[in-house]
Formats: sequence, structure tokens, C-alpha cells
Amino acid sequence: MKKAFLFVILLLPFLYLLWSVQTENDPIKYIFTFTGLSSLVLLITSLSLRPIKKVINLMRYRKMIGLYAFFYAFLHFLNFYILDAQLDFAFVVKETIDKPFVYLGMISFLILFFMALTSTKKLFLKFNKQHKAVYLVLILVTIHASIAQKVLSSLEYTFIVVTCILLGYRFYTMVLPNIKPYS
Amino acid sequence: MNILKKPDWYISENEVTDETLFEKRRDFLKLGAAALVSSSVVAEKLAAVEKIPRQALDFKKTSFGKDLELNSFDQASTYNNFYEFSLNKKDPAKLAHTLKPTPWEIEISGEVENPMYIDLQEIFSSYPLEERIYRFRCVEGWSMVVPWIGITLAHILKKAKPTSKAKYVKFITELDPEMFPDQRRGIFGNIPYPYVEGLRIDEAMNNLTFMAVGMYGKVLPNQNGAPIRLVVPWKYGFKSIKSIVNIELVEEEPLNTWKQINPTEYGFYANVNPKVDHPRWSQARERKLGSFFKVKTEMFNGYSNEVASLYKNMDLRKLY
Repeated sequence: MKKAFLFVILLLPFLYLLWSVQTENDPIKYIFTFTGLSSLVLLITSLSLRPIKKVINLMRYRKMIGLYAFFYAFLHFLNFYILDAQLDFAFVVKETIDKPFVYLGMISFLILFFMALTSTKKLFLKFNKQHKAVYLVLILVTIHASIAQKVLSSLEYTFIVVTCILLGYRFYTMVLPNIKPYS
Repeated sequence: MNILKKPDWYISENEVTDETLFEKRRDFLKLGAAALVSSSVVAEKLAAVEKIPRQALDFKKTSFGKDLELNSFDQASTYNNFYEFSLNKKDPAKLAHTLKPTPWEIEISGEVENPMYIDLQEIFSSYPLEERIYRFRCVEGWSMVVPWIGITLAHILKKAKPTSKAKYVKFITELDPEMFPDQRRGIFGNIPYPYVEGLRIDEAMNNLTFMAVGMYGKVLPNQNGAPIRLVVPWKYGFKSIKSIVNIELVEEEPLNTWKQINPTEYGFYANVNPKVDHPRWSQARERKLGSFFKVKTEMFNGYSNEVASLYKNMDLRKLY
């Protein structure tokens, strides 16, 4: 029941997008910003659940939030391919190879795509190690979001700080304890 | 001495809502039911109601861009890159009331025989204002078509008589933290201030190079660079510097603000060129405001006939 409620809540940004985009001056750009921010915020939310587990355990919602992060990333990709590139496949390939801004996003999208495909119980058991690549996605997407701007605003600085905190936590709790001392 | 003390509620005559606008508000309220039907209709009505009335101008129509399809005034006045107010393009329309476009003077100095100050009122009253419809292409990939009102830059420069040493023209935006909130933030500001732009003298004297004081029949809204701005239609929008207070004729190429911030991405020339990409995004096509479909970007933004000769023998990949 709670999951169904969360499912609807996380769909609301999409419904709002469908409504609000009609009055936007620069709809393609608006869709990029909206879906990109939604995806990044959900990605950060899903990765924050482990650090806050002792305070409040929401781990059972992690998969749905992560899948929604992929859903908004997928809309972001569709916006690039259908509206921005106007289905010009050669253009998409050329831009992806040429421009760091584009390939950082594309690599991240492909990793999220792989994670979404392997998110069933059975496949997750097999591929859960590979799902750690989500931290790579977090780094790449933070850079991608930052270089989408001509100059950084407080929003991008916030993402950079949050990303550093999440990576720091991961390093402190998962990596450091596994480094064997010399003695 | 007779001191007139204004009560708190006092507002001046020109702040009073125009009767026609007041009536429109009535119409708008009647549209309440329609709100549920179409959000875009309401947004337009709302925008029309909340606009501050602008002073109408006397001007001559010209044939420039007469076949182009105009963007709406709402589009052109609610999507502005004006970092002195905000990085967000919707914010200047809400914040720019702090800009005081009158009184305003432009200083013309440097390599000229007649250094001078021009009062803005002089331009409104005694210069031959004309309307020109130009394409406007932002380096970010969006574009619009705007009916500007103003005079050629050449018209102003000829009065000041540039000397033979005048190889470039440097423009400076007003520096006044009272008017521009972001100028109060020092090193935390969005960009360094004051904003500086420049043109080569032959570009400046070109007949297309325009100093706009109005658009859509009336004076410029503050967020579009009131009271006077440059419009160079064959260059990316950041060259078209807003709210100018100083025009200096100089011998050396001036360092324009965006080139100063990021010289590998933004150059001095900034000519619209679909074949030379921005390092981060393609410039081959553009998003005309209000459209879900992109169109091809034209060389020199469609003004090749007028300006291509200025750049012959120049490598436009290097001098971007």
C-alpha cells in the first residue's frame, strides 16, 4: 500500500511536466532541465537511504526510487534523441563521440539502463556487485549537470557537495574497513 | 519652504494601472472557468495584465525582416539572460524593476574628435527612430525574432567622429549595485562586472549594427536592457550588450566579459556559425522560442549578404 502511494508520488513530477511544458518558452531545454534534475535528485535520494538507515530504515523503497531515477533519465534521453536531435541517429552518435558533455550523460544513462534491466530479484542476486557502478553514475552526472551551465549556480554547488558527502560516506564505511593494516 | 511629504500609500501617476488594463483584468477574472480548460490561455492573459505599461515611441517602419515571423512580446520579455539580476532566464522580468532607466546618459570617449555625453531623452526626441525586425540567436541554442526600435550605431559614432586610431569599439554596462542585485555580491557574483563587449570598427559601422531603445512599438522593458542596448543580429546574443553607459573608441581589441570568463569557449567575434560548434553543444540547429521543433541555423544568422565580406580571409574556426 505504501509502495503504491510512493509510485504515484514519484509519477507526479512527470504529470506536472506534461502540464507545465505547454507554456514554456524553450520547451526542449525545459524538458532537459526538468527530467535531468528529477533524475539526479532521485538518484541522490536512493543513495542516501543507506547512510540514514540507522535513523530511519527506508531501504525497501530504494529499488522503486532508483527505477524512477532511471525513468526520468530515460525521458531525458528521449528528449535528446527525438526532440533535440530530431531522430537523426548519425547526429546522436557524432555528438556522443565528440562532446564530453554528451558522453558523460550517455555513459551514465547506459549504466542506469543496465541496472534497471537487472533489477529483478533473480538478476540482482547475480549482478549486485556491478550495481556499485551507480557511484560512478553519481560522479559523472554531477559533472554533466555542472557543465550544462554557462556558469555554476548554488544548485550545482549543492549537488557537488552532496555527491562528495555520499562518496565520503561510502569510502568511510565500505572501503576503509576493508583495507588491511600492515601489522 | 513648502515640503510635500508623501504618505505611505502614495504612488505616482505613471504607476496607476491603465484603464484598459484594468478592464482586461475584469475579462481575465471572467476567464476563471476557462482556467480548467487551457493553462496556456490563462498564462497569456495573466502576463498581459501584470505588465507595467510602457511608453509608446514614434518610429518609422522599415523593410528589415518584414517576412520573418515575430515572436510574441511575452516570449521576448520573459526569457532573458541578464546575469546582473539572475542566472535564471525567467527572473529578470520579475526583478528588473530596480533598474532606473531615467535619467540616463551615455558617454562616448576615447579615440574620438568630439567626446560627448548623450542624454537618452535626446535619442527619444530628436533622433530618427526606426523599427527593424531581426533574428536573435543565443549561443545556448535558442533564438527569437524581435522588432527592435532604435538607430544605427554608425549614426551615433559619426557624431563623435572616431579618429584614425579608433580600431575597435568597447561598450560597458552600467555598474550600480543599487540597480543590479548581483553586482552586490562581489567575488560571489555570477560573472565579473561591469559587463564589457566590443566590436571591430568596421563591424560597428555596418548598417545592421543597431542601438535599440525600444521593442514591439514601445520603450524597452528593463529586463531587455533598458534604456539602450546594442543589437548585432549576425552575432550570438551575448555580444548585444544591455543597459549601456559607456562607448569607448580604442586602438586594441577589448577583452569582452565572456571571453574573459572562458576564452576556450567564447571568443571576441562570436559570429553565428552553424559549422563551428560550441565545445559542449552543437550550433547546427536552433530552438526558436515557443517551438518543439528545431530549425537549421544559418551562416551569420542569415545576414551573410550584409556581413560576410567583413570576414573574408579570416579563419572562423580560430577566430570564433
